[in-house]
Amino acid sequence: MNLARLRSWWKWVVKRKQLEGDMDAELLFHIKSHAEDLVRRGVPEADAIRQARIALGGIESQKDAMRDSVGHRWSDELWLDLRYAARMLGKNPTFTLVIVLTLALSIGANSAIFSLIDGVLLKPLPYPRAEQIARVFYRSTSYPKFPLNPWDFLDFRGRNRSFESFAIYTHADVQLSGMGSDPVKLSTFQISSGYFRVLGVQPARGREFDFSEERPGNGNVVILSDRVWRNQFEAAPDILGRKVLLDSQAYTVVGVMPAGLNHPGNSYNSIAYGDTVDAWTPFTFSGNPNNRGSHYVEGIGRLKSGVTVEQAAADFNGIMVELASQHEDDKGWTIYMVPLFREIVGSVHKMLLVLLGAVGLVLLIACVNAANLLLARAAARQKEIAVRAALGAWRGRLLRQMLTESLLISLLGGALGVVLAIVGVRALVFFLPAGFPRTEAIHVNAFVLSFTALVAVGTGLLFGLVPAVQASQIDPKQGLHEGGRGSSGSIRQTRLRAVLVVGEVGLACLLLVGAGAMLRSFMNLLRLDPGFQPQHVLTAEIALPNANYKTTDNVAGFYQRLLNNLNTLPGVRAVGAGTDLPWTGYDENLGGFTIEGKTPPPHEEFHARYHTASADYFRAIGIPLLRGRFFNDQDSKGEPRVLLINNVMARRYWPGEDAVGKRITFDDKPKDSDWFRVVGVVGDVKDTPGSKEAEPAFWWPVLQEPFPFANMTIVLRGDSDPALLTDALRSKVRELDPSLAVAHVRLLDRVADEQFSTSRFALFLIGLFAALALLLAAIGIYGVISYSVSQRMPEFGMRVALGASSWNLLKMVMKQGVLLTGIGVAIGLGCALVLGGVLDNLLFGLSARDPLTLIVVGAIAVVTASLASLPSALRATAADPMTSLRAE
Amino acid sequence: MGKQVDLLQGTLDMLILKAVSLGPLHGYGVLLRIQQISGEQLEIQQGSLYPALYRLEHQGLIKSEWGESENRRKAKFYRLTAAGRRQLQSETDKWNRLAAVIVGILNTKPEGI
Repeated sequence: MNLARLRSWWKWVVKRKQLEGDMDAELLFHIKSHAEDLVRRGVPEADAIRQARIALGGIESQKDAMRDSVGHRWSDELWLDLRYAARMLGKNPTFTLVIVLTLALSIGANSAIFSLIDGVLLKPLPYPRAEQIARVFYRSTSYPKFPLNPWDFLDFRGRNRSFESFAIYTHADVQLSGMGSDPVKLSTFQISSGYFRVLGVQPARGREFDFSEERPGNGNVVILSDRVWRNQFEAAPDILGRKVLLDSQAYTVVGVMPAGLNHPGNSYNSIAYGDTVDAWTPFTFSGNPNNRGSHYVEGIGRLKSGVTVEQAAADFNGIMVELASQHEDDKGWTIYMVPLFREIVGSVHKMLLVLLGAVGLVLLIACVNAANLLLARAAARQKEIAVRAALGAWRGRLLRQMLTESLLISLLGGALGVVLAIVGVRALVFFLPAGFPRTEAIHVNAFVLSFTALVAVGTGLLFGLVPAVQASQIDPKQGLHEGGRGSSGSIRQTRLRAVLVVGEVGLACLLLVGAGAMLRSFMNLLRLDPGFQPQHVLTAEIALPNANYKTTDNVAGFYQRLLNNLNTLPGVRAVGAGTDLPWTGYDENLGGFTIEGKTPPPHEEFHARYHTASADYFRAIGIPLLRGRFFNDQDSKGEPRVLLINNVMARRYWPGEDAVGKRITFDDKPKDSDWFRVVGVVGDVKDTPGSKEAEPAFWWPVLQEPFPFANMTIVLRGDSDPALLTDALRSKVRELDPSLAVAHVRLLDRVADEQFSTSRFALFLIGLFAALALLLAAIGIYGVISYSVSQRMPEFGMRVALGASSWNLLKMVMKQGVLLTGIGVAIGLGCALVLGGVLDNLLFGLSARDPLTLIVVGAIAVVTASLASLPSALRATAADPMTSLRAE
Repeated sequence: MGKQVDLLQGTLDMLILKAVSLGPLHGYGVLLRIQQISGEQLEIQQGSLYPALYRLEHQGLIKSEWGESENRRKAKFYRLTAAGRRQLQSETDKWNRLAAVIVGILNTKPEGI
């Protein structure tokens, strides 16, 4: 179309009314002028107009041809089709409502889940060339993902040929004080000098750390996040060079990062991916460079362009072999390298795809359902279509008319679906499980909207095509003659609808099996004994700054005093302090200790989670004592050294023996006083509720801990609502040391509950989708049975005349519904058996092929089908023999 | 009316352009003008006239405006645009060449080969 045509076409769009008038006037003028000429030639006046009209041809077809000339016939017909479609839909509001609502629900659900997929899986991470960033871990036979040790890192940084830059980071919170208000705990990471280069992010002000600041004594510099700079320093423009007090030591601010910088996430003492970090300080390398046994830093690197993660991992593994030949501690490790993107979204990747699959199934069912309903209506409209065909409507035109109708339906559904999706995505994000990555990237954006539009159009074509083709093939003669009843076409159509319903039921069963398996899995999780009693427990974290609390005595003494003071509070049933709260993902592990009288299996060492705990810690958190005794105040410095161990440790290292009274030591050449004696065995707590089994674990009494544990969690068990104890806790801490921050005040049952949130989230959504699928299938069954009953009413009447009872008729109709469902169920459960593996690692304690689930799902489907067939069956029993006889 | 010649496919547009190139005309006037200058030998199918006029205007070869007819009625007059004039020129050249070739072919005698 060139410019002139475009302009003319557009003129016809905007000035339509005027131009239509012009068209009439022009043709009228022509007729009049012609008629006058005819009169002049002697034609009688009355006849002249008629002749002139005939000469011009039909005015309307003339006008159609003229509109066609300016490219407007197509859009005119579309407009007609649309108006016709709208009228047809308006005529049957129940039908329209059911079909539009079911489509809106399923399209909306698809868009909502797609927003999740788009935000989490499709959008690139917010770092420049993020695909080049990889995370580096150690791996051994017992630890699939383990932190690095700092000295190995220096060797890797010096020797590798794969990374543009390679850095480490480790979580080390600090307290910011001296600001005039209560001290605040800053979520802080110690980082090596290349860290921000790896992320590809420049400080907004100031600079990154350089190599010199990695040396001990040079590390008192800090980079602040934009948030801390604004909230704690009022966005002071002269912030660079200012001294701030971190853990009571002076640090110089050398940089401020830009707003919205995202932490790449970490696994050791983990902080979630996102805008979650307040400050960064340099990681300083101190101590003995040959001590390679201490693993607590996480590796992250930016690959040189053209280097793959696999190549880099091979490079690193080569270096690892060299290191292992030089250092005993480095034996047994290999490198595990993973793209940052996969590390961040890996945990939810599978769940999202399963959700997308589920919601896609729902849409497919909704399509089948819509096709089914349209077919039913096409049957009712057979006469109308036959009339149109007889009046000369071209077959393609009929097809287009029918498709316009289905597209109108699906676009209405899509529009409503977008509204649902916008609301739904808000709700989804709100209910996302704790620790779900990249929630900030989840929006209904233009991409999601185009996806929705595409889905809506695709849906309309999909469910509209079959009924449209069927309708356009109606033979006008037959359609007019028989009114559709009993004709071969309608038999074929009934069969087609039966097939559709079977498919619907099958798909719905597939979803129901998934939902059922998830429900059982969730119940399994809930039924588990957590190993502790999270109700009525308040927890809070305290970190003692190293500057003021250097020795074990300082640290242990502080906690002892604090606990004594807290014990006097009214409403406190038990109070304790411990490291590593259950289910918080922070699990310190120690390997290589010695058990008296035992040798570890070859190539392995004794290892266990290690913690310290105060005397009343176990009572406060509700971990039961199985044998022996808890700690008491006599387990202090100078007294015989003692340990508590968990049941797994007792059974693993002292199988068939009583572990109480046995001794272990952490020294290579122990004196008699270096041995710790097991005084009790406590119940097991798994790392997470879904872990297969608990890891071996032991506790030192706080007063005998071999090195100071500055960070501890206070555990307060109250009589009733423990949240009421928060203020008292804060004031007791302030009494002892006003420079301390009380951080992460949480209710333990909330902490425990977060562990179920992923399962609950997936269960809720899959359950919702399955319910929707079941409803759609029920509508489908109802539609087919109800149509078949109205077709067979005369037959039923005859049967009644021949002596059939109401019960016989009821049974006949119900049998039809149940039979269709039965076939669908068989197909659906068969598919579930084949596809069940998809769900396996989302489930806990059962497989998706769990027979009980399959049986229950089958039963639900059959009951639903019976309920959906019942109204039609009851209608059949009212068949009147007289009506049938008269009709035939 | 004498014996009439059928209009060749695709020539109507060209004839309309020629007709309005001699001065603005309304639709009925186009019809009369073509009949007149063809010496009443051509009669245009009235049904195809208006679609053709609309098509030419749509293509920007003619443009229309309302005016008063010779019998003092409101009528829509068409006139040639610059683009239409170029189109008419090239159509005329094409037609003349084609006609010359065809006439040459049809006049060929056996001894001319």
